[in-house]
Amino acid sequence: MLPDFASVSPETKADALAYLASLDDVRVIAGGTDLLVNMKRGELCSNVVDIMNIEELRLLSGDGTDIAIGPAITHAAISAAAMLNDLAGSLSAACGWIGSPQIRNMGTIGGNLANASPAADLIPPLLIHDTVLKIESQEGKREERLDDFIVAPYETSLKPHELLTWVCIKGLPGYREGYRRIARRAAWAISRLSVAWAVREDGDRFVDVKLAIGSCTPMPFRPRNVEKFLGGRKKDDHTIGEAAALVVEEIRRITGDRPSFAYKLPVVKGLVQKALRG
Amino acid sequence: MKIVSFALNGKKVSCEVQDRELLLHALRERFSIKSVKEGCGIGECGTCTVLIDNEPHYSCLTLASKVDGHDVKTVEYLGDAGLLHPLQKAFIEAGAVQCGYCTPGMLLSAYSLLMKNENPSDSEIREAISGNLCRCTGYIQIVEAIRDAAGLCKCKP
Ligand SMILES: Cc1cc2nc3c(=O)[nH]c(=O)nc-3n(C[C@H](O)[C@H](O)[C@H](O)COP(=O)(O)OP(=O)(O)OC[C@H]3O[C@@H](n4cnc5c(N)ncnc54)[C@H](O)[C@@H]3O)c2cc1C
Ligand code: FES
Ligand code: FES
Repeated sequence: MLPDFASVSPETKADALAYLASLDDVRVIAGGTDLLVNMKRGELCSNVVDIMNIEELRLLSGDGTDIAIGPAITHAAISAAAMLNDLAGSLSAACGWIGSPQIRNMGTIGGNLANASPAADLIPPLLIHDTVLKIESQEGKREERLDDFIVAPYETSLKPHELLTWVCIKGLPGYREGYRRIARRAAWAISRLSVAWAVREDGDRFVDVKLAIGSCTPMPFRPRNVEKFLGGRKKDDHTIGEAAALVVEEIRRITGDRPSFAYKLPVVKGLVQKALRG
Repeated sequence: MKIVSFALNGKKVSCEVQDRELLLHALRERFSIKSVKEGCGIGECGTCTVLIDNEPHYSCLTLASKVDGHDVKTVEYLGDAGLLHPLQKAFIEAGAVQCGYCTPGMLLSAYSLLMKNENPSDSEIREAISGNLCRCTGYIQIVEAIRDAAGLCKCKP
Protein backbone atom coordinates (compact mmCIF):
# COMPACT_ATOMS: atom_id res chain seq x y z
CA MET A 1 0.00 0.00 0.00
CA LEU A 2 1.24 3.44 -0.86
CA PRO A 3 0.95 6.50 1.37
CA ASP A 4 -1.89 8.79 0.39
CA PHE A 5 -1.34 11.34 -2.38
CA ALA A 6 -3.27 12.99 -5.20
CA SER A 7 -2.14 12.51 -8.77
CA VAL A 8 -2.60 14.29 -12.08
CA SER A 9 -1.69 13.06 -15.56
CA PRO A 10 -1.28 16.09 -17.84
CA GLU A 11 -0.95 15.65 -21.60
CA THR A 12 1.20 18.68 -22.35
CA LYS A 13 4.45 19.97 -20.96
CA ALA A 14 2.86 23.36 -20.30
CA ASP A 15 0.20 21.75 -18.09
CA ALA A 16 2.82 19.71 -16.24
CA LEU A 17 4.84 22.87 -15.51
CA ALA A 18 1.69 24.64 -14.31
CA TYR A 19 0.92 21.77 -11.91
CA LEU A 20 4.50 21.70 -10.66
CA ALA A 21 4.33 25.44 -10.01
CA SER A 22 1.00 25.40 -8.20
CA LEU A 23 0.88 22.14 -6.21
CA ASP A 24 2.44 21.80 -2.77
CA ASP A 25 4.87 19.08 -1.83
CA VAL A 26 4.85 17.73 -5.38
CA ARG A 27 6.89 15.04 -7.15
CA VAL A 28 7.22 14.03 -10.80
CA ILE A 29 6.55 10.38 -11.58
CA ALA A 30 7.73 8.75 -14.80
CA GLY A 31 8.05 4.94 -14.72
CA GLY A 32 7.74 4.93 -10.93
CA THR A 33 10.35 2.21 -10.46
CA ASP A 34 12.42 4.33 -8.09
CA LEU A 35 9.76 6.67 -6.71
CA LEU A 36 7.16 4.05 -5.78
CA VAL A 37 9.76 1.78 -4.19
CA ASN A 38 10.89 4.75 -2.07
CA MET A 39 7.29 5.55 -1.15
CA LYS A 40 6.66 1.97 -0.11
CA ARG A 41 9.67 2.40 2.16
CA GLY A 42 8.12 5.44 3.76
CA GLU A 43 8.89 8.47 1.61
CA LEU A 44 5.91 10.83 1.57
CA CYS A 45 4.54 13.47 -0.76
CA SER A 46 1.12 15.09 -1.18
CA ASN A 47 0.97 15.39 -4.96
CA VAL A 48 2.30 13.47 -7.92
CA VAL A 49 2.50 14.66 -11.55
CA ASP A 50 2.62 11.71 -13.95
CA ILE A 51 4.51 12.75 -17.10
CA MET A 52 4.11 9.55 -19.13
CA ASN A 53 1.15 10.86 -21.18
CA ILE A 54 3.15 13.80 -22.48
CA GLU A 55 4.06 13.04 -26.09
CA GLU A 56 6.72 15.74 -26.36
CA LEU A 57 8.72 14.18 -23.51
CA ARG A 58 8.96 10.91 -25.42
CA LEU A 59 10.52 12.16 -28.63
CA LEU A 60 13.92 11.22 -30.02
CA SER A 61 15.50 13.50 -32.57
CA GLY A 62 18.93 13.93 -34.03
CA ASP A 63 20.95 15.36 -36.88
CA GLY A 64 24.24 13.55 -37.10
CA THR A 65 26.06 14.17 -33.87
CA ASP A 66 23.53 16.24 -31.91
CA ILE A 67 20.92 13.93 -30.46
CA ALA A 68 18.04 14.93 -28.17
CA ILE A 69 16.41 12.20 -26.10
CA GLY A 70 13.05 12.79 -24.40
CA PRO A 71 13.35 12.08 -20.65
CA ALA A 72 10.24 9.86 -20.57
CA ILE A 73 11.64 7.39 -23.11
CA THR A 74 11.93 3.93 -21.55
CA HIS A 75 15.10 1.85 -21.40
CA ALA A 76 13.47 -0.69 -23.73
CA ALA A 77 12.78 2.01 -26.34
CA ILE A 78 16.32 3.36 -26.11
CA SER A 79 17.94 -0.02 -26.56
CA ALA A 80 15.74 -0.58 -29.63
CA ALA A 81 16.51 2.77 -31.30
CA ALA A 82 18.78 2.26 -34.33
CA MET A 83 20.16 5.81 -34.24
CA LEU A 84 21.40 5.32 -30.67
CA ASN A 85 22.84 1.92 -31.49
CA ASP A 86 24.94 3.57 -34.19
CA LEU A 87 25.96 6.77 -32.44
CA ALA A 88 25.79 5.94 -28.73
CA GLY A 89 26.40 2.20 -28.47
CA SER A 90 27.44 2.33 -24.82
CA LEU A 91 24.07 3.91 -23.90
CA SER A 92 22.11 1.27 -25.85
CA ALA A 93 24.14 -1.45 -24.18
CA ALA A 94 23.57 -0.03 -20.69
CA CYS A 95 19.80 0.24 -21.32
CA GLY A 96 19.78 -3.40 -22.32
CA TRP A 97 21.40 -4.39 -18.98
CA ILE A 98 19.10 -2.54 -16.63
CA GLY A 99 16.96 -4.53 -14.22
CA SER A 100 14.69 -6.96 -16.05
CA PRO A 101 12.44 -6.75 -19.12
CA GLN A 102 9.62 -5.38 -16.94
CA ILE A 103 11.86 -2.69 -15.42
CA ARG A 104 13.11 -1.75 -18.91
CA ASN A 105 9.51 -1.37 -20.14
CA MET A 106 8.71 0.92 -17.20
CA GLY A 107 11.85 2.85 -16.20
CA THR A 108 12.96 5.94 -18.08
CA ILE A 109 16.22 7.71 -18.83
CA GLY A 110 14.98 10.85 -17.06
CA GLY A 111 14.13 8.86 -13.93
CA ASN A 112 17.54 7.20 -13.92
CA LEU A 113 19.24 10.61 -14.09
CA ALA A 114 17.00 12.41 -11.61
CA ASN A 115 17.32 9.59 -9.09
CA ALA A 116 21.11 9.99 -9.38
CA SER A 117 22.14 6.73 -7.75
CA PRO A 118 25.93 6.19 -7.66
CA ALA A 119 25.14 2.87 -9.37
CA ALA A 120 22.77 4.26 -12.05
CA ASP A 121 23.65 2.41 -15.22
CA LEU A 122 22.94 5.24 -17.66
CA ILE A 123 25.18 7.82 -16.07
CA PRO A 124 28.60 6.48 -17.20
CA PRO A 125 27.59 6.23 -20.89
CA LEU A 126 25.90 9.63 -20.74
CA LEU A 127 29.08 11.14 -19.27
CA ILE A 128 31.18 10.02 -22.23
CA HIS A 129 28.61 11.53 -24.60
CA ASP A 130 29.06 14.99 -23.03
CA THR A 131 25.44 15.12 -21.97
CA VAL A 132 23.71 18.43 -21.39
CA LEU A 133 20.31 18.50 -19.68
CA LYS A 134 17.54 20.92 -20.53
CA ILE A 135 15.44 21.87 -17.55
CA GLU A 136 12.25 23.93 -17.51
CA SER A 137 9.93 25.51 -15.02
CA GLN A 138 7.22 28.12 -15.40
CA GLU A 139 9.84 30.75 -14.65
CA GLY A 140 12.08 29.77 -17.52
CA LYS A 141 14.61 27.38 -19.02
CA ARG A 142 18.13 26.43 -18.08
CA GLU A 143 20.78 24.03 -19.31
CA GLU A 144 23.27 22.11 -17.26
CA ARG A 145 26.10 19.70 -17.98
CA LEU A 146 25.52 16.26 -16.50
CA ASP A 147 28.74 16.63 -14.43
CA ASP A 148 27.19 19.61 -12.64
CA PHE A 149 23.61 18.28 -12.52
CA ILE A 150 24.48 15.54 -10.05
CA VAL A 151 25.62 17.30 -6.92
CA ALA A 152 25.84 14.36 -4.48
CA PRO A 153 24.75 10.72 -4.37
CA TYR A 154 20.94 10.72 -4.93
CA GLU A 155 20.95 14.50 -5.20
CA THR A 156 20.61 16.70 -8.29
CA SER A 157 20.23 20.40 -8.91
CA LEU A 158 16.52 19.93 -9.84
CA LYS A 159 14.08 22.04 -7.84
CA PRO A 160 10.64 20.60 -7.00
CA HIS A 161 8.90 22.81 -9.58
CA GLU A 162 11.38 21.96 -12.35
CA LEU A 163 11.05 19.37 -15.09
CA LEU A 164 13.84 17.69 -17.00
CA THR A 165 12.73 18.16 -20.62
CA TRP A 166 15.61 16.94 -22.83
CA VAL A 167 18.69 14.81 -22.48
CA CYS A 168 21.05 16.13 -25.17
CA ILE A 169 24.01 14.01 -26.16
CA LYS A 170 26.82 14.12 -28.70
CA GLY A 171 26.78 11.09 -30.99
CA LEU A 172 30.19 9.53 -31.57
CA PRO A 173 30.38 8.19 -35.13
CA GLY A 174 33.48 6.11 -35.82
CA TYR A 175 34.04 5.18 -32.19
CA ARG A 176 34.08 1.66 -30.81
CA GLU A 177 31.77 1.78 -27.78
CA GLY A 178 30.72 -0.48 -24.98
CA TYR A 179 29.45 -0.82 -21.44
CA ARG A 180 30.27 -3.54 -18.95
CA ARG A 181 28.92 -3.94 -15.47
CA ILE A 182 29.69 -6.39 -12.76
CA ALA A 183 26.72 -7.24 -10.58
CA ARG A 184 25.86 -10.06 -8.26
CA ARG A 185 23.50 -11.58 -10.80
CA ALA A 186 22.71 -10.61 -14.34
CA ALA A 187 19.06 -9.61 -14.04
CA TRP A 188 17.90 -7.12 -11.39
CA ALA A 189 21.17 -6.62 -9.69
CA ILE A 190 22.18 -3.06 -9.11
CA SER A 191 25.63 -2.51 -10.56
CA ARG A 192 28.50 -2.76 -8.14
CA LEU A 193 31.02 -1.67 -10.71
CA SER A 194 30.77 -0.43 -14.25
CA VAL A 195 32.81 0.99 -17.12
CA ALA A 196 31.61 2.79 -20.26
CA TRP A 197 33.98 3.47 -23.10
CA ALA A 198 34.25 5.04 -26.54
CA VAL A 199 37.51 4.52 -28.38
CA ARG A 200 38.66 5.88 -31.74
CA GLU A 201 41.71 4.18 -33.16
CA ASP A 202 43.88 4.55 -36.22
CA GLY A 203 45.81 1.38 -36.92
CA ASP A 204 47.92 0.76 -33.82
CA ARG A 205 47.32 4.17 -32.24
CA PHE A 206 44.64 5.53 -29.94
CA VAL A 207 43.27 8.70 -31.48
CA ASP A 208 40.71 9.60 -28.85
CA VAL A 209 39.50 7.69 -25.79
CA LYS A 210 36.58 8.46 -23.49
CA LEU A 211 36.07 6.47 -20.30
CA ALA A 212 33.63 6.66 -17.41
CA ILE A 213 33.59 4.59 -14.25
CA GLY A 214 30.43 3.94 -12.22
CA SER A 215 29.76 2.66 -8.69
CA CYS A 216 33.33 3.16 -7.41
CA THR A 217 33.14 6.78 -6.34
CA PRO A 218 30.24 8.77 -4.83
CA MET A 219 29.31 9.83 -8.36
CA PRO A 220 30.25 8.17 -11.65
CA PHE A 221 33.20 10.05 -13.18
CA ARG A 222 35.46 10.39 -16.21
CA PRO A 223 39.18 9.99 -15.53
CA ARG A 224 40.11 12.87 -17.84
CA ASN A 225 43.83 12.63 -17.07
CA VAL A 226 43.81 9.05 -18.36
CA GLU A 227 41.88 10.04 -21.49
CA LYS A 228 44.48 12.71 -22.17
CA PHE A 229 47.33 10.27 -21.50
CA LEU A 230 45.92 7.84 -24.08
CA GLY A 231 45.30 10.34 -26.91
CA GLY A 232 47.79 9.66 -29.73
CA ARG A 233 49.62 6.90 -27.89
CA LYS A 234 50.62 3.54 -29.33
CA LYS A 235 48.06 0.83 -28.59
CA ASP A 236 50.12 -1.81 -26.83
CA ASP A 237 50.19 -3.71 -23.54
CA HIS A 238 52.46 -1.17 -21.95
CA THR A 239 50.17 1.82 -22.66
CA ILE A 240 47.06 -0.12 -21.70
CA GLY A 241 48.59 -1.34 -18.45
CA GLU A 242 49.72 2.15 -17.53
CA ALA A 243 46.29 3.63 -18.33
CA ALA A 244 44.51 1.05 -16.15
CA ALA A 245 46.89 1.80 -13.27
CA LEU A 246 46.20 5.51 -13.65
CA VAL A 247 42.44 4.90 -13.45
CA VAL A 248 42.87 3.05 -10.18
CA GLU A 249 45.06 5.84 -8.81
CA GLU A 250 42.39 8.37 -9.73
CA ILE A 251 39.67 6.39 -7.91
CA ARG A 252 41.88 6.29 -4.81
CA ARG A 253 42.52 10.01 -5.07
CA ILE A 254 38.76 10.76 -5.19
CA THR A 255 37.56 8.37 -2.52
CA GLY A 256 40.47 7.47 -0.29
CA ASP A 257 40.83 3.82 0.65
CA ARG A 258 37.77 1.64 1.18
CA PRO A 259 37.44 -1.94 2.38
CA SER A 260 35.63 -2.90 -0.85
CA PHE A 261 38.58 -1.73 -2.94
CA ALA A 262 40.54 -4.93 -2.34
CA TYR A 263 37.96 -6.52 -4.63
CA LYS A 264 36.87 -3.58 -6.75
CA LEU A 265 40.13 -2.08 -7.94
CA PRO A 266 41.59 -5.20 -9.58
CA VAL A 267 38.22 -5.69 -11.32
CA VAL A 268 38.17 -2.11 -12.59
CA LYS A 269 41.70 -2.56 -13.86
CA GLY A 270 40.66 -5.67 -15.75
CA LEU A 271 37.58 -4.02 -17.24
CA VAL A 272 39.52 -0.97 -18.39
CA GLN A 273 42.19 -3.13 -20.02
CA LYS A 274 39.57 -5.16 -21.82
CA ALA A 275 37.79 -2.03 -22.99
CA LEU A 276 40.99 -0.54 -24.38
CA ARG A 277 42.13 -3.72 -26.10
CA GLY A 278 38.74 -4.16 -27.81
CA MET B 1 -10.63 9.14 -7.10
CA LYS B 2 -10.40 8.78 -10.87
CA ILE B 3 -12.24 6.90 -13.57
CA VAL B 4 -9.98 4.68 -15.66
CA SER B 5 -11.15 3.01 -18.85
CA PHE B 6 -9.07 0.34 -20.49
CA ALA B 7 -9.22 -3.00 -22.29
CA LEU B 8 -8.93 -5.87 -19.83
CA ASN B 9 -8.36 -9.23 -21.48
CA GLY B 10 -9.98 -7.96 -24.64
CA LYS B 11 -13.06 -6.40 -23.00
CA LYS B 12 -13.61 -2.69 -22.45
CA VAL B 13 -13.89 -1.89 -18.76
CA SER B 14 -14.15 1.22 -16.61
CA CYS B 15 -13.82 1.69 -12.91
CA GLU B 16 -13.15 4.22 -10.22
CA VAL B 17 -9.73 3.99 -8.55
CA GLN B 18 -7.92 5.93 -5.86
CA ASP B 19 -5.09 8.21 -7.01
CA ARG B 20 -2.55 6.14 -5.09
CA GLU B 21 -4.05 2.77 -6.07
CA LEU B 22 -1.74 0.24 -7.68
CA LEU B 23 -2.83 -1.71 -10.75
CA LEU B 24 -2.11 -4.90 -8.78
CA HIS B 25 -4.74 -4.04 -6.18
CA ALA B 26 -7.27 -2.73 -8.72
CA LEU B 27 -7.08 -6.00 -10.66
CA ARG B 28 -7.34 -8.18 -7.55
CA GLU B 29 -9.95 -6.24 -5.62
CA ARG B 30 -12.08 -4.49 -8.25
CA PHE B 31 -11.96 -7.17 -10.94
CA SER B 32 -11.35 -10.26 -8.76
CA ILE B 33 -8.41 -11.29 -10.89
CA LYS B 34 -6.46 -13.27 -8.31
CA SER B 35 -3.88 -14.70 -10.73
CA VAL B 36 -1.99 -11.43 -10.36
CA LYS B 37 -0.17 -11.81 -7.06
CA GLU B 38 1.75 -9.63 -4.67
CA GLY B 39 5.05 -11.30 -3.87
CA CYS B 40 7.69 -8.74 -2.99
CA GLY B 41 5.82 -5.55 -3.92
CA ILE B 42 9.05 -3.87 -5.10
CA GLY B 43 9.82 -5.18 -8.56
CA GLU B 44 11.97 -8.11 -7.60
CA CYS B 45 9.92 -11.28 -8.12
CA GLY B 46 7.64 -10.92 -11.16
CA THR B 47 4.58 -12.65 -9.76
CA CYS B 48 2.53 -9.46 -10.30
CA THR B 49 3.45 -9.32 -14.02
CA VAL B 50 0.75 -8.17 -16.44
CA LEU B 51 0.98 -7.20 -20.10
CA ILE B 52 0.34 -3.55 -20.87
CA ASP B 53 0.07 -3.04 -24.63
CA ASN B 54 1.48 -6.56 -24.88
CA GLU B 55 4.70 -5.81 -22.97
CA PRO B 56 5.37 -7.18 -19.47
CA HIS B 57 5.13 -4.72 -16.57
CA TYR B 58 5.13 -5.10 -12.79
CA SER B 59 1.64 -4.20 -11.58
CA CYS B 60 3.01 -3.74 -8.03
CA LEU B 61 4.87 -0.61 -9.24
CA THR B 62 2.25 0.67 -11.69
CA LEU B 63 -0.37 3.19 -10.63
CA ALA B 64 -3.81 2.06 -11.81
CA SER B 65 -4.36 5.50 -13.35
CA LYS B 66 -1.55 4.77 -15.81
CA VAL B 67 -3.51 2.15 -17.79
CA ASP B 68 -6.29 4.56 -18.80
CA GLY B 69 -6.70 4.10 -22.56
CA HIS B 70 -4.36 1.11 -22.71
CA ASP B 71 -4.64 -2.64 -23.17
CA VAL B 72 -4.08 -4.89 -20.13
CA LYS B 73 -3.78 -8.65 -20.27
CA THR B 74 -3.57 -11.18 -17.45
CA VAL B 75 -3.23 -14.93 -17.72
CA GLU B 76 -7.02 -15.24 -18.02
CA TYR B 77 -6.61 -13.88 -21.54
CA LEU B 78 -4.75 -17.04 -22.56
CA GLY B 79 -7.27 -19.65 -21.46
CA ASP B 80 -8.78 -21.43 -18.50
CA ALA B 81 -9.07 -24.97 -17.18
CA GLY B 82 -11.73 -25.74 -19.78
CA LEU B 83 -9.78 -24.46 -22.76
CA LEU B 84 -6.05 -24.18 -22.25
CA HIS B 85 -3.77 -22.21 -24.53
CA PRO B 86 -1.02 -24.30 -26.20
CA LEU B 87 1.52 -22.41 -24.08
CA GLN B 88 -0.30 -23.41 -20.88
CA LYS B 89 -0.49 -27.03 -22.10
CA ALA B 90 3.22 -27.00 -22.82
CA PHE B 91 3.92 -25.78 -19.25
CA ILE B 92 1.92 -28.68 -17.83
CA GLU B 93 3.48 -31.25 -20.12
CA ALA B 94 7.05 -30.11 -19.46
CA GLY B 95 6.55 -30.11 -15.69
CA ALA B 96 7.09 -26.36 -15.61
CA VAL B 97 4.48 -25.85 -12.88
CA GLN B 98 5.20 -26.96 -9.33
CA CYS B 99 3.69 -24.73 -6.66
CA GLY B 100 2.35 -22.50 -9.43
CA TYR B 101 2.94 -19.18 -7.68
CA CYS B 102 5.17 -17.84 -10.44
CA THR B 103 3.22 -19.42 -13.30
CA PRO B 104 0.75 -16.67 -14.34
CA GLY B 105 3.55 -14.09 -14.56
CA MET B 106 5.88 -16.53 -16.25
CA LEU B 107 3.25 -17.39 -18.87
CA LEU B 108 2.68 -13.71 -19.64
CA SER B 109 6.38 -12.96 -20.10
CA ALA B 110 6.64 -16.02 -22.36
CA TYR B 111 3.52 -15.04 -24.30
CA SER B 112 4.86 -11.54 -24.88
CA LEU B 113 8.11 -13.02 -26.22
CA LEU B 114 6.30 -15.41 -28.57
CA MET B 115 4.18 -12.57 -29.95
CA LYS B 116 7.35 -10.87 -31.13
CA ASN B 117 9.49 -13.88 -31.88
CA GLU B 118 7.99 -17.15 -33.10
CA ASN B 119 11.24 -19.04 -32.90
CA PRO B 120 13.31 -17.78 -29.95
CA SER B 121 16.67 -19.23 -28.95
CA ASP B 122 17.17 -20.56 -25.42
CA SER B 123 19.08 -17.44 -24.48
CA GLU B 124 16.28 -15.23 -25.78
CA ILE B 125 13.82 -17.28 -23.73
CA ARG B 126 15.97 -16.96 -20.60
CA GLU B 127 16.29 -13.23 -21.14
CA ALA B 128 12.52 -12.85 -21.58
CA ILE B 129 11.76 -14.58 -18.26
CA SER B 130 14.65 -13.03 -16.35
CA GLY B 131 12.22 -10.71 -14.54
CA ASN B 132 10.21 -13.63 -13.14
CA LEU B 133 11.55 -15.66 -10.23
CA CYS B 134 10.71 -19.33 -9.78
CA ARG B 135 11.73 -20.91 -6.49
CA CYS B 136 10.67 -24.44 -7.48
CA THR B 137 11.57 -25.60 -10.94
CA GLY B 138 15.09 -24.40 -11.58
CA TYR B 139 13.86 -22.87 -14.88
CA ILE B 140 14.96 -25.75 -17.12
CA GLN B 141 11.43 -27.11 -17.54
CA ILE B 142 10.09 -23.60 -18.08
CA VAL B 143 12.55 -22.88 -20.88
CA GLU B 144 11.71 -26.26 -22.38
CA ALA B 145 7.98 -25.56 -22.25
CA ILE B 146 8.38 -22.20 -23.99
CA ARG B 147 10.59 -23.75 -26.64
CA ASP B 148 8.01 -26.54 -27.20
CA ALA B 149 5.17 -24.06 -27.46
CA ALA B 150 7.01 -21.74 -29.83
CA GLY B 151 6.23 -23.73 -32.95
CA LEU B 152 2.68 -24.53 -31.95
CA CYS B 153 1.09 -21.38 -30.81
CA LYS B 154 -0.23 -18.47 -32.69
CA CYS B 155 0.62 -15.72 -30.27
CA LYS B 156 0.00 -12.82 -32.62
CA PRO B 157 -1.63 -9.87 -30.87
C1 LIG C 1 13.79 -4.28 -9.41
C2 LIG C 1 14.53 -3.06 -9.85
C3 LIG C 1 15.72 -3.20 -10.57
C4 LIG C 1 16.43 -2.08 -10.99
N1 LIG C 1 17.58 -2.28 -11.69
C5 LIG C 1 18.30 -1.19 -12.09
C6 LIG C 1 19.53 -1.37 -12.81
O1 LIG C 1 19.95 -2.48 -13.11
N2 LIG C 1 20.24 -0.26 -13.15
C7 LIG C 1 19.79 1.00 -12.84
O2 LIG C 1 20.48 1.96 -13.18
N3 LIG C 1 18.64 1.19 -12.17
C8 LIG C 1 17.88 0.13 -11.79
N4 LIG C 1 16.72 0.32 -11.09
C9 LIG C 1 16.31 1.68 -10.74
C10 LIG C 1 15.28 2.34 -11.70
O3 LIG C 1 14.54 1.37 -12.40
C11 LIG C 1 15.93 3.25 -12.73
O4 LIG C 1 16.70 4.23 -12.08
C12 LIG C 1 14.92 3.93 -13.64
O5 LIG C 1 15.58 4.47 -14.75
C13 LIG C 1 14.12 5.02 -12.96
O6 LIG C 1 13.23 5.58 -13.92
P1 LIG C 1 11.67 5.79 -13.62
O7 LIG C 1 11.09 6.39 -14.83
O8 LIG C 1 11.05 4.55 -13.13
O9 LIG C 1 11.78 6.86 -12.44
P2 LIG C 1 10.70 7.33 -11.35
O10 LIG C 1 10.67 6.37 -10.25
O11 LIG C 1 9.42 7.68 -12.03
O12 LIG C 1 11.42 8.67 -10.89
C14 LIG C 1 12.66 8.65 -10.22
C15 LIG C 1 13.01 10.06 -9.75
O13 LIG C 1 13.21 10.91 -10.85
C16 LIG C 1 12.30 12.02 -10.83
N5 LIG C 1 11.97 12.27 -12.23
C17 LIG C 1 11.67 11.34 -13.19
N6 LIG C 1 11.52 11.93 -14.39
C18 LIG C 1 11.72 13.26 -14.21
C19 LIG C 1 11.73 14.40 -15.09
N7 LIG C 1 11.51 14.28 -16.42
N8 LIG C 1 11.97 15.63 -14.54
C20 LIG C 1 12.22 15.75 -13.21
N9 LIG C 1 12.27 14.71 -12.35
C21 LIG C 1 12.02 13.48 -12.84
C22 LIG C 1 11.17 11.58 -9.94
O14 LIG C 1 10.55 12.68 -9.31
C23 LIG C 1 11.90 10.70 -8.94
O15 LIG C 1 12.50 11.48 -7.95
C24 LIG C 1 15.96 -0.79 -10.67
C25 LIG C 1 14.76 -0.64 -9.97
C26 LIG C 1 14.05 -1.76 -9.56
C27 LIG C 1 12.75 -1.59 -8.81
S1 FES D 1 5.20 -8.30 -6.47
FE1 FES D 1 7.24 -8.88 -6.80
S2 FES D 1 7.65 -7.86 -8.67
FE2 FES D 1 5.69 -7.15 -8.18
S1 FES E 1 6.53 -23.22 -9.62
FE1 FES E 1 6.80 -22.58 -7.58
S2 FES E 1 7.71 -20.64 -7.85
FE2 FES E 1 7.70 -21.39 -9.84
